[in-house]
Amino acid sequence: MSPAQNHDESTGPLTPAMFHVLLALAGDDLHGYAILKEVELRTSGKVKLSTGTLYGIIKRLLADGMIVERRSRPAEADDDERRRYYRLTERGREVAAAEAERMDEVLSIARARHLLKKPRTA
Amino acid sequence: MASADSRALRFYRALLRVLPFDFRGDFGPEMETVFHEQHKEAGRRGGVAGVLRLWWETIVGIFKTAPGEHVAMFAQDANFALRMMRKNPGFTLAAVLTLGLGIGANSAIFSVVNTVLLKPLPYEHGDRLVTLQQQAPRAGMLGQPFSVAETNDYRAQSHSLDGLVEYHNMNFILLGRGEPERVETGVVSWNYFDVFGLKPLFGRNFRPDDEQPGAPAVLMLSYEYWIRSFGGDPTVVNKTFTMNDKLHTVIGILPPVPQYPDENDVYMPTTACPFRSRPAFIANRQSRMMRVFGRMKPGITVSQARADLNGVASNLQKAYPKDYPPSIDYSIRTSALEEELTHNARPTMLVLLGAAGFVLLIACANVANLNLARMVRRERELAVRAALGAGRVRMFRQLLTESFLLALIGGGLGLLVSWGGLNLLISFAARFTPRAREIHMDGTVLLFTLAVAVLTSVLSGTAPALAARDTVVDGLKEGGVQSTIGVGRRRLRSLLIVAQVAVSFLLLIGAGLMLRSFQKLQHVDPGFQPENVLTMQIGLDFTKYNTGDKQRAFFESFLDKIQTQSGVKSAAASMMIPLNGTMRMTGDFQLEGQTPVPGQKLPVADFRVVSESYFDTLHIPVLQGRGFTRADRPGVPDVAVVNRTAARHYWGTQDPIGKRFSADNGQTWTQIVGVVGDVKQYGLDKDAADEIYVSMAQNPLMDAMLVVKTETEPMSVARGIIELLYAMDPNQPAAHVQSLEQVRAESVAAPRLTANLLSLFALLALTIAATGIGGVMALAVGQRRHEIGVRMAIGARPGEILRMVLGQGMGLALVGVVLGLVGALALTRLLQRLLFEVGPTDLLTFVGVAAVLSTATLVACYVPARRAARVDPIIALRVE
Repeated sequence: MSPAQNHDESTGPLTPAMFHVLLALAGDDLHGYAILKEVELRTSGKVKLSTGTLYGIIKRLLADGMIVERRSRPAEADDDERRRYYRLTERGREVAAAEAERMDEVLSIARARHLLKKPRTA
Repeated sequence: MASADSRALRFYRALLRVLPFDFRGDFGPEMETVFHEQHKEAGRRGGVAGVLRLWWETIVGIFKTAPGEHVAMFAQDANFALRMMRKNPGFTLAAVLTLGLGIGANSAIFSVVNTVLLKPLPYEHGDRLVTLQQQAPRAGMLGQPFSVAETNDYRAQSHSLDGLVEYHNMNFILLGRGEPERVETGVVSWNYFDVFGLKPLFGRNFRPDDEQPGAPAVLMLSYEYWIRSFGGDPTVVNKTFTMNDKLHTVIGILPPVPQYPDENDVYMPTTACPFRSRPAFIANRQSRMMRVFGRMKPGITVSQARADLNGVASNLQKAYPKDYPPSIDYSIRTSALEEELTHNARPTMLVLLGAAGFVLLIACANVANLNLARMVRRERELAVRAALGAGRVRMFRQLLTESFLLALIGGGLGLLVSWGGLNLLISFAARFTPRAREIHMDGTVLLFTLAVAVLTSVLSGTAPALAARDTVVDGLKEGGVQSTIGVGRRRLRSLLIVAQVAVSFLLLIGAGLMLRSFQKLQHVDPGFQPENVLTMQIGLDFTKYNTGDKQRAFFESFLDKIQTQSGVKSAAASMMIPLNGTMRMTGDFQLEGQTPVPGQKLPVADFRVVSESYFDTLHIPVLQGRGFTRADRPGVPDVAVVNRTAARHYWGTQDPIGKRFSADNGQTWTQIVGVVGDVKQYGLDKDAADEIYVSMAQNPLMDAMLVVKTETEPMSVARGIIELLYAMDPNQPAAHVQSLEQVRAESVAAPRLTANLLSLFALLALTIAATGIGGVMALAVGQRRHEIGVRMAIGARPGEILRMVLGQGMGLALVGVVLGLVGALALTRLLQRLLFEVGPTDLLTFVGVAAVLSTATLVACYVPARRAARVDPIIALRVE
């Protein structure tokens, strides 16, 4: 049983938007606006999250223990006290990795069936 | 630009209100920051179009997120609520039971009100149907039926009706299916069911040719008769049955609809009735026998129809001055059929609905109080949760969710309760309206129950939730289990107790008045002795016993044979028996020696045909002169016996014996030979009318009620008498075999059941209120243990403590009783129509109810008071 399946059973399916948020946080701890920007940048503007959607996702990821709010804050000059910074947890990282692996498997099949011309490197 | 920014932010903040309170609390400020930055960037990079696009995406995003968040929040609250309910099974059980009974009472009564008073009649043209009655108040005639000529005139001359049909009831004898069976038959115009808009379930409606003289005899079965006698077999259509001397073919089966004015087994067209078909009957404008129903043209109102039909009435007065002299004040009464079918039920049903509503109010107050009491114990929990960051609104919502779930479970229980009591209620409602058969639980009742449950949760949950919200913060500060509750909350609890006592008082008064009224009704002297009297109806086959001589001979011989039966003391026959239905035969007459003055009202009386031993059999006292004897026969002068009321009314101080009167304009004269005591003919609550008894030997009956005085239980001789009947004529059925005691009980069944239902509601209210007051006092005593300990330590005796606690409880009860008294004085007038010889402010009832209520609260307070008196000061103080 793969971790992704395990995840499905315990906390419900991972939506593409949730996956993007996890991916954004896989690099660095970010605050809300930075997550939006990161997702937009990484998808070349194809995925644009609204505030309502983003915080619905954050609430679920927090509740599922995939992200946490970071205690330490950046140096005062860079900080806005209303901002909160989110960090990917170990569990969040596992779930994201499992999802990426699952996608990779799907892509291999697609390639084998010649649905994709050549492998792309990230 | 800055102001544009802050406007955008204000609008965004408003938009966030779509999301649950908690969500906003958790993420609102952060979302505002993010949006602020998005907004700045969108303006910088995309201009107005960019900002518009951002708004669009933002609004869609929030509206997509909100529903899921609300559901999640409710699920969380509900989950927690269920856990709390499981943790406090005592509270949960008490609350669910209280609410279940309260809601159940309302659902049950509402299912009746919904069908009987709210739903349109189940006929296609129900709202256009009217009933017509002729009245001549100065000739003592109200609700007079119609003659054939009158029916034809009204049909021809009215402009407001597009259909006018007639109805009367008679009985046929069905043969060839085991014992002969009396079949109640509605005799109707061929288009009767068309006018009502009724299509048969199977078969066809009557057609014009069915009503032609000499047409083959046809039958329409009522739904109930079809089910009862043919087990709902549709192949009965087109089958033939022998009724009296003719073969009748079943042409159709009616759907299940209320039958009015009578519950009939079958229907036939008018030509089936030999009396209705007689040329002499048809020609006589005064031969009135039929009920008449009209269907108003579309768009016509009842008052327009009324005006139109009264126009026809004045035409008739002009055309036939002899039949409608100005002296009788002739007119026509037109009323909506719907009103006619339900007006008897309305006052009782509304009173019961009100009573059920009061029970629910008490239940709500009680659960609110239970909630408040529980709140004291949950104070710490709530305070901790508040300290952990649960907002006040969040807690308010949590507590309301708990109330809602309780009410919902209570509502489910209530539905079960009302479903269980439905059949009882239907038979109860059937005493008031033919619409009772339509009563069932439907979507409307379910919706009503849900609405009541929601209302209940708001009523029973809001006050405690508000109180909790206000005191949550204090809870932690004061810290201990012994934390004092706010004065406001204690006052609220007292207020709820007072309200419960007041409303219970109201209900108890209502029930008390009805019970007293019923008791008075029970003790009314009916003027006859119903004990050990068997009654049955013998409707002779009109084809076979077609002359007065044959009818007289049959009944005389039958009665003689019954007299010889063992166990029989005496037997008689009569046109009708007392307290059985409303049928009456009213007529005017003239007194010998008084020439009628044109324009002056003639004397009026109810005529009753009775056989020789009628007065003896029913123990109706002969006050003067004599009763009827064998000697009163055809060929000798007609004789009559009057009741005391008529004797006083028409002869005053004179002796009526030997006086003569004529009921046929002086053609024949009847001599009064006796005066008998008054009998309550039409109901124990109705005064005796002027009555004239005439001899059955001189006025033979075709359809008569037997009354048989027996030595023992009357039903025990019934079979023997029926065997005697079959021995005389095997094709002659007996119907409505019952004891006169049953008839009397039946006549007061409606007030008895109403009183019982109200008493049930009142007892329920009393129980809820009494346990409520006891519970609150127990809680108060628990909280004041320390104070009581101090009091006892400084010398208070247990008796004093007992009195103190009792005094406080009774003080609340007293305020409730006083408020209830004020309410009762204002509201019991609504009961007036249902009461008999008891005023709506009957002193005895008020004093009695106050005593019962005080005793109940005293008992309820005694237990906690005694516990208070037994407080050990050392233990109580040590807790400190």
